[in-house]
Amino acid sequence: MQVFDRALLRRRRRRAAAGLGDHDFLFTEVAARLRERLGEVQRSFSSVLEMGSRRPVIEDFSGKGGAMDRLVRSHFGGGDAAGSGAATPVTALEADEEALPFAPDSFDLVVSNMALHWVNDLPGCMIQVNRVLRPDGLFLAAMLGGETLKEMRAALMHGEMEVENGASPRVSPFADIRDIGNLLQRAGFALPTIDRDEITVSYRDMFHLMHELRGMGETNAVLARRKTTLRRDTLMAAARYYSDNFTAGDGPGDGEGDGRITATFNVLYITAWAPHPDQPQPLKPGSATTRLADALGVTERK
Amino acid sequence: MTDETGKPRKKTEAGSIDLKLLEILVCPVTRGPLEYDAAAGELISRKAGLAYPIRNGIPIMLEDEARAIED
Repeated sequence: MQVFDRALLRRRRRRAAAGLGDHDFLFTEVAARLRERLGEVQRSFSSVLEMGSRRPVIEDFSGKGGAMDRLVRSHFGGGDAAGSGAATPVTALEADEEALPFAPDSFDLVVSNMALHWVNDLPGCMIQVNRVLRPDGLFLAAMLGGETLKEMRAALMHGEMEVENGASPRVSPFADIRDIGNLLQRAGFALPTIDRDEITVSYRDMFHLMHELRGMGETNAVLARRKTTLRRDTLMAAARYYSDNFTAGDGPGDGEGDGRITATFNVLYITAWAPHPDQPQPLKPGSATTRLADALGVTERK
Repeated sequence: MTDETGKPRKKTEAGSIDLKLLEILVCPVTRGPLEYDAAAGELISRKAGLAYPIRNGIPIMLEDEARAIED
């Protein structure tokens, strides 16, 4: 299903690339959190694909237990100037997460920082990631999901209802943990786990937040969006609603609020493995050799 | 790749590619093999009839950016 205008997304990212350094807080923060998760994995990786990361999780070739053989960075619009000034040349290419140009079994780690929430065909993308991974390879990804930008969604809807008596999709639809878990399983991944992190950021006002999103190249690219820009009075009404309802520091014990608004970002973290016979498997039903009643020390009653 | 005089042609930085990457690259449309045309700085997928450009050493593996070729 086509939800997102990928060509538009690519243009926006390219436009944002030069000034991304001023707006990369979220990308950098989540990259660090992914790095932490990777550090907990008792494994070294030799062939790595960093897929669609605007800020890299893997900064160089120095992996645990020896250097990597191969580190490939794929981007879709506005790459992070890969190779420029880096001591080790990193192999970069432009690729679509929906049509990966890699042979099967090419990598033992695919890591992706905040790219998957713009993918139309998430099941297809996951199947492809599974295919380019070697058996027992790791897929580690972070993407926006759930209640991300719920405040702005509410404010824009309110503004449009108030001024124009109608509303249109202004904020991307996001997947939630359950959806992603199902997709991973259907894509054939083993041992998938997903967890969620909430990052709340404060901004001066809604316009400041919108400026930031534009700087990140993350503004609305929903196909069904209205092609006209938001009317000024609609925007003003939305901004007013935002400031009235979602202000930082006005909870009890927070002292006097500074009038800044808050924006919620839900980050979903995916950990999943390409299947391998040595991984823990569920036993076949009926294959038990001990009775549950014995293990529990109770008498079995029929 | 040689030119008419038989001497190795000097590869331009813009169209050259990391050979380690070439080992694992396939056509994103057909998943078939790619041929590296160093002179043109392109990766060619015969099956898809497409030539993917290499810009500043970066292969652009996107169908929208590829050049249609005739056989």
